[in-house]
This record gives sequence, C-alpha cells and structure tokens, in this order.
Amino acid sequence: MSRKLLINILSIIFLAAVIIALPITLGSVYWTSILVIMGINILLVSSLRTLKLVGHISLGHVGFSLIGAYGSALLLMKVGISFWIAIFLGGLMAAVIALALAYPFLRVKGIYFVLLTLLTAETFRLIARYWPSLTGGVWGLLRIPPPNPITIPVIGTITFDSVNNYYYLAAVIVSLSLFVLYRLERSRLGFKWRVIQDSEVLAQSVGINVMWHKALNFTIASFFAGIAGALFAHYQHALSPQPTARFGLLASVYLIVYMVVGGESKFAGPIIGTVFLTMVSELARGLEEYRPIMIGAIAILTMLFMPEGLIGLPKRVKLWYRKLLKPKRRVQCPT
Amino acid sequence: MPLLEIRNLGKRFGGLAAVSELDLDVGQGEIFGLIGPNGAGKTTVLNMVGGTLSPTSGKIIFGDEDITRLPPYRRAQRGIARVFQRDVLFRSLTVLENVLAGFHLLSGMGFTEIFFERPSVRRQEKVLHEKAMEILRFVRLDRQADEMAINLPHGNQRALCLAIALATQAQLFLLDEPLTGMGGEEIEAMMDMIRTLRDGSGITSIVVEHNIRAVIGLCDRVAVLDYGKKIAEGSPKEVVKNPGVIEAYLGVEEDAI
Repeated sequence: MSRKLLINILSIIFLAAVIIALPITLGSVYWTSILVIMGINILLVSSLRTLKLVGHISLGHVGFSLIGAYGSALLLMKVGISFWIAIFLGGLMAAVIALALAYPFLRVKGIYFVLLTLLTAETFRLIARYWPSLTGGVWGLLRIPPPNPITIPVIGTITFDSVNNYYYLAAVIVSLSLFVLYRLERSRLGFKWRVIQDSEVLAQSVGINVMWHKALNFTIASFFAGIAGALFAHYQHALSPQPTARFGLLASVYLIVYMVVGGESKFAGPIIGTVFLTMVSELARGLEEYRPIMIGAIAILTMLFMPEGLIGLPKRVKLWYRKLLKPKRRVQCPT
Repeated sequence: MPLLEIRNLGKRFGGLAAVSELDLDVGQGEIFGLIGPNGAGKTTVLNMVGGTLSPTSGKIIFGDEDITRLPPYRRAQRGIARVFQRDVLFRSLTVLENVLAGFHLLSGMGFTEIFFERPSVRRQEKVLHEKAMEILRFVRLDRQADEMAINLPHGNQRALCLAIALATQAQLFLLDEPLTGMGGEEIEAMMDMIRTLRDGSGITSIVVEHNIRAVIGLCDRVAVLDYGKKIAEGSPKEVVKNPGVIEAYLGVEEDAI
C-alpha cells in the first residue's frame, strides 16, 4: 500500500516536472501555444468522458464550452469582474444551463441524446452569431483581455499576457480540474454513476435517484467544459461563432475522436488520445488539408484493431507478442 | 393490517386491459404467489408495485403509505426490492461490488472525498464490506466475491440478484420468476433462501412463477390471474383444485356437458 503511494507520488512529481520543463525545453512560442490548446482540449475531452460514465455521449460539449467562453469574456469586458471570478462564473453558467436542460434531455438515450446536444450546441452558436450587440455577431468577440495580473508577496507581480505565463496558468487550472474529475470518479458518487451505466432499472430498484445523479453528472461535465471554454477565450483574446471554428460541429466530433482513440475506459484515455492526435496533426502540419482524413483514418483503425483505444495498447502488445512467440499448444485427444 | 394493500388496481395499454379491478392483501412475513397463464398480467402487477409502471386506476398502499405515484427509487427507499426476471446485474462490477451497490442507501454522496479521505468514511466502508460479505455467505457466493458478476453461472447470478435486494434492507421482495432456468438443486437452494428470509428476518415476498410445483411448495398463499383478473385466491392446495383455475390453464373440456 505505502509502496503504491510512493510510486504515485513519484509519478506525480515526474509529471509535474515534465509539465514545468516542456515550454523551456521546446523553447518556442509556437509549441507552447500548441500545448496550451492541447491542455484545454484535454480538459474538454476528460469532461466529455465524465458524461460517458453514466452512458451518455454528447455532440454538444462545445456548446457548454461556448457558454463558458462568452460568459467569462463578457463578464470581464462588460461588467468588469476580475478574471479569477469570471472564469469560475463562466463554468457556473454552463453548469446552470446544463442543469436546466438535464431533466428533459436525459430522459432520452443514445442517438436521441446525441441529437439533442448537437442541436443545443448549434443553437448556442447561432445565438452568439446573431446577437451582435452582445457577442459581436459574425465578427466574433474581439479584444478579450488576458487574466488580471496577480501579486504574490515574495515573487512579485505575475502577468498573463505572454504565452509562456498563460501556459503555466492553464496547466494549473487544467491539472486542478482533472484532479477533481479523477477524485469524483473514485468517490461514492462516481460509483453510483458506474452503477447507473450498468443498469438504470436495477440502480433505481436499489434506491438510486437515477435522474438526479445523471443530471448532476451532466452539470459537472458541463461546468468543466465551461472552464475550458473560458481558458480558451482569455488565451485567444477572440471568439468566433463560425461553424468551422472552435465551437462548430466538427470540433465536437474531434472531441469524441480524441476520446475514442485514447480509450474511454480509463481516466488517462482522453489525455493520451488528445496528446497523441495533437502531435500527429502537428507533425503533419505540411499536409494541412488532409488532416481530417488522417484523423479519421486513425480513428477507424483504432476502432477496428484496438476498440479499447490507445490505453489498451500495452495489453494488446502483450497479447500479440504471446501469439507470435508461443506456438499453439496442441490439444491431445484421449485415445 | 396487511403490509401491502392493492385496491382496485388497473392497467390499460391502449384498449387492452392488462390488469383490471385487482384487490390483493399481502401480510407481513408472507410468501405470496402470483400465478396464471402466460399474458395474465402477473409481471404487470409486479411492475406496478415496484413502480416501473404506473397504474391507470386504483391504489397501492405499503405499510400505511399510499405509494401509487412514487417513483421506483423512492419505493426502494421505503423497503420494496425488486428481483428482475432476466439476470439484471451490474455487469461491470464484481460480485462484492454488486452487493455494495445495493447498500448505497446507507452511504452518503462523497463530495468531501474529492479533497481528503475522512476516517469515518473509511470505517463506514469497512462495516459495509463486512455486511456485504455476510450477505454473500448467506447466498453462498462468498468464495466468488471478487469475480466479475457476469462470469457467474446462471443460478449463481440469480442468487446474486437476491443478495443485491437483501442489501437494500427491504421488507418486501418482488421476485419475478426466481426459479426460471434453474436445475433441481438450485431451485431447492433458492426456495430455501426465500423461506429462511421469511423465518429469520420476517421478510415478505411476492413471487411470480411458472413452476407450479415450486409455488405449491414455497408459497403460503396464492392468487391466480387470468386475463388481468383475479380468478382465485387461497392456500396453494385449494387453488390448484379450483375448477376455474384448471379451466384457465387447460381450457374448457368441450364435451364435458
């Protein structure tokens, strides 16, 4: 037990060191900015997986991200609230809207839920598109200020207008959010989510209020989608309601692909999937127009040959290895 | 006063009356059989008592509370447990975890666990673990505690279904064909368990079952449904001699007149 704890602590320290050292070793603003977007995507995909814990797939996760993004940005720009409160309120707005929609939405399952969320996200996007007085309309919301600087007694004042500093800010917020999601999954609440995914009828008949627990799950998942959106807004300093941009349908599809390729059965799946596919699309930057095809091909290959995603790769490799090296044992027939 | 009172209960599916004008009283500590030919409405009655179907007319009173309009999870909280017809289990969980899921009513939400582990929670978990093992010993699954539930053979899966229901601390068990697809010994074991629950803990059961011989051996009282109506009620031995019941099962003898 204590040995396991030690390994856990060491790997957390190692991970933290990697996260801190990455922008320094890569040494370019370009790569650091890729990492920021990647971190935001990890949070989005992980929160999408939280919803999967009760058996739902959403094609509208970017919609709640949009609420968080516009919400936080507008609160900062029009009301003058500090970033540190605005980002939280952005997430909260997404959560409240999700909670209001949860009861009608979660009554349906499977493809119907997927369609409802897809249409909801598109509705949010079109509202942002056709409400120019508030959201800047088709031009988008521009000149979103960076987070307010903070002053720490010993270190001094830290500003967040450089990519490098924003990277560390995003790393802290994303890590903290992931930690909460991780612990939630392992709490008794997370256990109930698993139970509900296994069998809703049986969950009900042991006294679990299935609708409420699913609504809570949807709300929490949407909260973190909102936080991810807000992080994006203050990083990019501009939001666009175009269908090809951050909040369009294609973005939602990518989130699901990240999750499936990484593997949804484990918490680390979405993280691995997002990192892997971000790297693939960056390394193939020269082939920009073929990117959807490549990502699609990777998704199809993963689903065909590794239905459990990249997270199941070690197990797969072990299996293949055994098949290759060990000859089939002959079954002796009793004579 | 009976534990469960059903008054004038009816359920229509469009023009079809699946159950109509049903009155039943089930007393505390009774094993009550609900039998009848296929399509007689037995499972519909069970679904209405369990709350997965809401009746079109009538009342269901449990203890001294009208539960007709309560959702299933609230009925479970009041002490009604359902053992489903097919092997409805938590498929991704182990045998032990299945029982722990049944205990959920005894444990809280766990929001504080996100940031730190409270010792009281740990202690509570240990107690629940012990209790779960006790239940598993009762249904004779303690040695399979760490196996995945879906890997159990059919008879054991049914026993696990019973164990989950036990974990909810229910007073009233709704057993939908608990003996289907079981071998002779497994049937005996299951019947024994249901009897032990009655004798040891005063648990009331409503059993829907096709195996008439088992029903006669197991139940204290039986009601026979045909086309959604109760055609007979009484001790098992009386009921099977009732001409109306024989007619419902075998049809009318045409040249009897």
